[in-house]
Amino acid sequence: MRNLFFFLRNHYFYFLFLVLETFSLTLLFNYNEFQGSSLYSVSNSVSGYVNSMFNGISEYFSLRKTNRVLIDEMAKLHSRIPEAFYTTDVNIFYKKDSIVKLEYKYISAKVISNSTNKRNNFLMINKGAIHGIENHMGVIIGNKIVGQVVSVSPHFSWIMSMLNKDSRISGKFKKNNQLVNVEWNGGSYHIGQVKEIPKHVVIVNGDTIITSGNSDIFPEGLLIGTISDFTKVQDENFNNGEIFFSTDFNSLGYVEVVVDLMRKEKDDLKASFKTQQ
Amino acid sequence: MTSRTLFFNVIRFFFLVFLQVLILNNINLGGYINPYFYIYFILLLPFGAPRWLLLISAFILGLSIDIFTNTIGLNAAACVVMAFFRPFVISAISTGPESLIGDTPSLRNQGIKWFLYYSIILVLIHHSVLFYLEIFRFSEFTVTFIRVLLSSAFTMVLVLISEYLLYPRGK
Repeated sequence: MRNLFFFLRNHYFYFLFLVLETFSLTLLFNYNEFQGSSLYSVSNSVSGYVNSMFNGISEYFSLRKTNRVLIDEMAKLHSRIPEAFYTTDVNIFYKKDSIVKLEYKYISAKVISNSTNKRNNFLMINKGAIHGIENHMGVIIGNKIVGQVVSVSPHFSWIMSMLNKDSRISGKFKKNNQLVNVEWNGGSYHIGQVKEIPKHVVIVNGDTIITSGNSDIFPEGLLIGTISDFTKVQDENFNNGEIFFSTDFNSLGYVEVVVDLMRKEKDDLKASFKTQQ
Repeated sequence: MTSRTLFFNVIRFFFLVFLQVLILNNINLGGYINPYFYIYFILLLPFGAPRWLLLISAFILGLSIDIFTNTIGLNAAACVVMAFFRPFVISAISTGPESLIGDTPSLRNQGIKWFLYYSIILVLIHHSVLFYLEIFRFSEFTVTFIRVLLSSAFTMVLVLISEYLLYPRGK
């Protein structure tokens, strides 16, 4: 027993190293399970407040750009209000019909932390559960994609950026609606990968890829990017390409969270099909 | 350890954590390079610090960074490995008693050759563990290796600049 004690005392450095290392790795690999736990929400609110404090200062440096984006956005919205349409026949624009129902609602939020230089990038925004944000909601900027909500605290949300190894967005060619998958393999934050392009699709550099609306996260028709390069693989059924993202992930100021008002109905429909089987 | 060194190390801890979280984490050159300068704290811990203190302080340092980047455990694991290797690196590259003069490792006391060996080895250990743990797949081995090398170089530049600024020669 005394020998064991001496042994432990003489080699305490190694044991302490093993204990601390095991502890860190456990934290790291159970990270996803920790997201709902108290440790995660404490760290989330601490870093949230520090980040929003610092962001209050750094916001001033990008005011010019933010203004330009807002003016663009305003012009776009102006062109959609009823007064902007040429009204020869009032009936065409009569929308008080029970068939026309709002499917998507948008919550605007400010990005308070963002990264593009890691293999797995995340953003934090200053709106959370009390503003109506839930997991698996899509996040967009203008008509371009940003990412997906993966964790929510009362005042902040944590968003998995498109620039993440777990991000995979269902897209399609704008010209012929052929479905593809868009991923990001690291490296430059401008360039992503387009996987599983069917062989028969004729690809041209500059082809536009938009969201397919198949995934319940993003509405249909949001811009993902344009094809910048492609390779024809001989032995497989699909070709691969590179995509130049329309979103500038390094300068996100204000983003919008997409709330699908009919998501519950869609989920219920899927669930009822499963129970029937 | 005197109370003066303790005081300076605590101040340095907070300064480096906030520098890393608020400024350096936003730096991104070419999609590959971002510095992890906060490990300068571990490099500058006194020679006389007990070895358990090395590990514990490295762990707390890494965890503080993790809280702000929401990568709980990642930086902590890398820092603990780095602190573990520090005594071995010091004893491996120290040739005589003159290489341990002074309170803390520095360019001025130990000379450029000693300090370069010391910091490059430890920075490479830290960055390798950090980047490979973050990615955790071998299919991107070479890309990650390039990231490790470039980011280490950037971190080393910052370490050397602060060595020359804070501890000028011939004082």
